[in-house]
Amino acid sequence: MSMTPRERVLAAMRMEKLDRPPVAVFTQSATIGQMDALGVSWPDAHSDAKLMAKLGAGQATVLGFEAVRSAFCLTAEAERLGCKVDPGKKNSTPMLKEHPFKFDPMESVYDEPNIMDPEEFIKGGRPAVVIEATRLMAEQYGKEYAVIAGNTGPFTLAGHMVSTENLVFGIIMEPDEVVKWVDAVTPVLKTYSQALADAGADIIQMSEPSSSTDLLSPDMFGDYSGRFVKECLAGTKGAYSILHICGDTSAILDGMIDTSVTGLSIEEKVDSAEAVKHVNGRVPLVGNIGVVKPLLQGTPEECAADAKRVAAAGFNVVAPGCGLSAMIPNENLMAVVKAVKG
Amino acid sequence: MSAEIDALIDIVITGKIKEAKGATQKCLDAGISAKDIVFDALSKAMEVVGEKYAAKEYFLPQVLLSANTLYQGLNLVLPLLAGEGAESKGTVVIGVVEGDVHDIGKNIVKAMLTGLGLTMHDMGKDVPIKDMLQKAKDEKANIIAESTLMTPTLAGMKDMENFLKEEGLKGKIFTMVGGGATSKEFADQIGADGWTYDAVEASHFAAKLLGI
Repeated sequence: MSMTPRERVLAAMRMEKLDRPPVAVFTQSATIGQMDALGVSWPDAHSDAKLMAKLGAGQATVLGFEAVRSAFCLTAEAERLGCKVDPGKKNSTPMLKEHPFKFDPMESVYDEPNIMDPEEFIKGGRPAVVIEATRLMAEQYGKEYAVIAGNTGPFTLAGHMVSTENLVFGIIMEPDEVVKWVDAVTPVLKTYSQALADAGADIIQMSEPSSSTDLLSPDMFGDYSGRFVKECLAGTKGAYSILHICGDTSAILDGMIDTSVTGLSIEEKVDSAEAVKHVNGRVPLVGNIGVVKPLLQGTPEECAADAKRVAAAGFNVVAPGCGLSAMIPNENLMAVVKAVKG
Repeated sequence: MSAEIDALIDIVITGKIKEAKGATQKCLDAGISAKDIVFDALSKAMEVVGEKYAAKEYFLPQVLLSANTLYQGLNLVLPLLAGEGAESKGTVVIGVVEGDVHDIGKNIVKAMLTGLGLTMHDMGKDVPIKDMLQKAKDEKANIIAESTLMTPTLAGMKDMENFLKEEGLKGKIFTMVGGGATSKEFADQIGADGWTYDAVEASHFAAKLLGI
């Protein structure tokens, strides 16, 4: 029985038994190697739907992965809501230059969240570019490949608006103000997620790095991030959802599952076999090849070995554990593809 | 150890931020020197906070609270240190390298090193390597501490080592690197003097470098 890459990835979302797991990049997927092969580069591709679609398909068309993915950064939503963003360079993602709202737990000064109407949000700025790129990708590549659309999680986006450090500090000083802000950005993300699904995304992959255990304690996760992620994604119709959180998520795997997302994307700081054992078939797992090591700094042989290790551990999708560094060489990524696909 | 010092240590560890200034003033009123307040109370308290973080008893919010509590006390006693004629134990230029804006980790390292009694020059985030180097020369710094969470910025850390070599400053100004994208292996590869996993290790390493 031959399957298209799309069928294989979607079967993995349903945890169907497969002869091998699919191999795909669910997080940021663009690299210099793909840019050079396609004649499309950052920062242009961040704000032009056609270029985004072409470069976002590069993981499949250039490297042989089994999905395509729109958006390369976590600043599109924040920029739309008023954050100043430096577009970055060919090898670096856009950066937030300032946070437009005041949230100062030391001085007890908190701006009221004044967030754009969700319908207005999806009509303009880079969210509209990502929606259009997703539509183009579904049209051009969707028959063969699963279309993944990436967006930003609510605690992370709230942090972008007011400074993540202040938001985290606020949990101890003035928790109600923190909740007010995360709650305020949730409606735009809910509407944005549905708009991406409506544009043809098979999978919404929401990244919520700021609720990593490096920033929040496990018992804070549900109250300040998890329940809002659920609000953003649980009602999304017509697409699967994947929640990605960086760092060692061992202690919040259950909390992540409680958000009702379809599956989880996790980093190499979580032991692969332990994660599979703990999750125990409740949801599909996506990951968790190390991005810095081996992908960026290792050899093709080390990358292939790591991909095989993740597949053997029982991950449903073999994928990098976090967004790719643009400088990861083609041969390392191709070694991962070959190790899984044979 | 006096009761005043013990009280201040407890206040920093438990993050009783509103009580920190008063407790520091009580130490001064009891005739305890600014130097002893920094080293016997504030520095020790941050050490305990670091241990609690390493043991996953504390997470970032508690560490931020303790760090801000620490600064309440430090703001009162640091200006007095110079008057006491106490010599700084060392000078550090710290920053997030150009191309990256993730600075929470850097801020925690800064708090820990400030707690050690070091003179800190915080360059902030997205800082050009040459600016950090110039500042280090201007301030006769002992250590340049560089941080990044991202990968494109790793090249900047290598540039720093090359600039130091070109100017004959390697070994005179020590370099410490840290942050999500870095590793011990990477630090060795570029020739940095040290890499540390977190802020606690960073403070231990800086103390070792400076013989504190």
